[in-house]
Amino acid sequence: MTNDPIIKIEQLEKSFGDLHVLKGINLEIDRGEVVCIIGASGSGKSTLLRCINLLEEADSGHIWFDGQDLMDLKVDLNALRQKIGMVFQGFNLFNNKSVLDNCTLAPMTVRHIPRAQAEETAIRHLKAVGLEDFIHADSRRLSGGQKQRVAIARALCMEPEIMLFDEPTSALDPEIVGEVLDVMKRLAQEGMTMVVVTHEMAFAKEVSDRVVFMDRGVILEQGSPREVFGNPKESRTREFLSRYLEDKMA
Amino acid sequence: MRGTPTSRGQSFIARDHRYVYLGGSVIALVGLSLWYSAPSPYSFLPAGSVPGTALAAVCYFFLVVSTLALLVKWTHWSSYGETILKRPALVRLSRYLSYLDAAAAALLALDRFVLKLAYVVHAAVHAESNPTGTLSSMVYMAYNQRSLFVTGVWTTVQLALAGTAIAFVLALLMVFLRIQEPDKRNNDFVKLIKIVANKFARFYIFVIRGTPMMVQSLIFYYAIFNLFKRTGMSVTEINRVWSLFISGLVTVSLNSTAYLAEVLRGGILAVDAGQMEAARSLGMTHWQAMRRVVFPQAIKNSLPAIGNEFIINIKDSSVLCVLGVSDLMFMTRSVAGIYYKGTECYLIAATVYLFLTYLSSLLLKAITGRMTAPDNTKRRQGNQTVDLGLPSSN
Repeated sequence: MTNDPIIKIEQLEKSFGDLHVLKGINLEIDRGEVVCIIGASGSGKSTLLRCINLLEEADSGHIWFDGQDLMDLKVDLNALRQKIGMVFQGFNLFNNKSVLDNCTLAPMTVRHIPRAQAEETAIRHLKAVGLEDFIHADSRRLSGGQKQRVAIARALCMEPEIMLFDEPTSALDPEIVGEVLDVMKRLAQEGMTMVVVTHEMAFAKEVSDRVVFMDRGVILEQGSPREVFGNPKESRTREFLSRYLEDKMA
Repeated sequence: MRGTPTSRGQSFIARDHRYVYLGGSVIALVGLSLWYSAPSPYSFLPAGSVPGTALAAVCYFFLVVSTLALLVKWTHWSSYGETILKRPALVRLSRYLSYLDAAAAALLALDRFVLKLAYVVHAAVHAESNPTGTLSSMVYMAYNQRSLFVTGVWTTVQLALAGTAIAFVLALLMVFLRIQEPDKRNNDFVKLIKIVANKFARFYIFVIRGTPMMVQSLIFYYAIFNLFKRTGMSVTEINRVWSLFISGLVTVSLNSTAYLAEVLRGGILAVDAGQMEAARSLGMTHWQAMRRVVFPQAIKNSLPAIGNEFIINIKDSSVLCVLGVSDLMFMTRSVAGIYYKGTECYLIAATVYLFLTYLSSLLLKAITGRMTAPDNTKRRQGNQTVDLGLPSSN
């Protein structure tokens, strides 16, 4: 374990056709750090996150993970992605698998862990997210909050070094957002490195070590939650946060 | 109206009174028209017999009652609800009367339709020469040439079953080629292979879907026949290896492969892209994600369309008769040639094809219904989430 940042992003550019989504992003993430990325829809938050585990291929720039440049075309993607857990807005549980099989599929097929051992790990993680009663349930029949907790357990079963969360609570009913955020809080307390794209400002304020505000494809401002929320330097940040608070009130 | 079809039917019969007079009148008219049709030698209600006349009288009586009810309705259009006809006792009585009417019509139908049909079949089967009536002639030819028809049906079923099964396996390969897309991270060799695979599959599907199966069958048959010939085999030897049936089966299989590949591709596209992304994000390779996550769901999505392709093959294998494959169509043509009776023979073929496709669609519905339904243990687990009072999204 070194003190180097686990992820270092330099001058990252990405366009979808004419749409310039990321305009030179620079970002470092340290081991054990919890970083929340906030910003308006379309500001490039999710794209940035998806570039980190190469679900999107950036056009230019560098992403170093553990000192390895991911933009190098020879990099072993599958080996790399095992170390980067990802949680999606739409849960994306495997519809043809039970809850347990969702969690054991990748460890068994990718890491060739024997079934018994994979199931033991999966059950441990499912217990930790409070879903021990649903181990054999059909994943399609869970509630949104349960699905997202399974998705987190599934990612943890690969024992990743970092977890990426792409708006994990945006598709959930307000009253069950909490059950997912609680799991994420506990994960943060256990020292997991986390990058969270979120609209949950209270969560960002409470849990994150650093808040990154993105606007129109650039990182406009970053700092401790106290700095960004308490005393935003940029007018765009202030505008976003006040508009956000208004929406909350309404 | 809500409820299951059965419960809806039950409440219609027991409670809904709107169509009793109308429906009963239609039934009575059908019963009467059967009564006045010619009886058969099997008839137990000959014309003028007392029981038959009594049944007809029931029908007449119901028509009269209905006409009276109609007149009352006409004259008391807005206050019909208050008339004597809407008294509960009379409503019930009219319903019982309608049951009596239906029973009378049913007996007449048994006598003048079912038994008449039985007599026609019996007579046609024992006829010395081809009868003139369409139905009689159909029965006569179907019975006397039953071995030809049975062989034809068996060949058609084999072609459709084996053809669709082989096509399904080939389509799995074909769709695998079809969905290859070169990736930025592939080396040049892999990129080339993927492009070639993709283009080949597109071209194959384009050609097969763009030409008639009849033409394909002739090309396959002659082309491969000539290939064998070039190796110096004799015609008898070639006919043994490259029989008409085999070449027909190859045609159906290769033709269906193109259609099924597109069906499967549709099934794959219908699987949410997030499934693939989630699998890849866990470090699974594209192939692992396809095989373990996307393909199983895609095949499930495609099951109804795959069944449909089987039904299409039952019908479309009929074009193979140009080759002389002894399928149902070819056999029918032979029989038509023997008796010189086109309409009747092809009506037999149509009836048999209709029966085969209907039977297949029933079977497929039963099979695919079971395969797509979640099993009981899972359903119980699912209910648990509801019992806990947690809202369910998706």
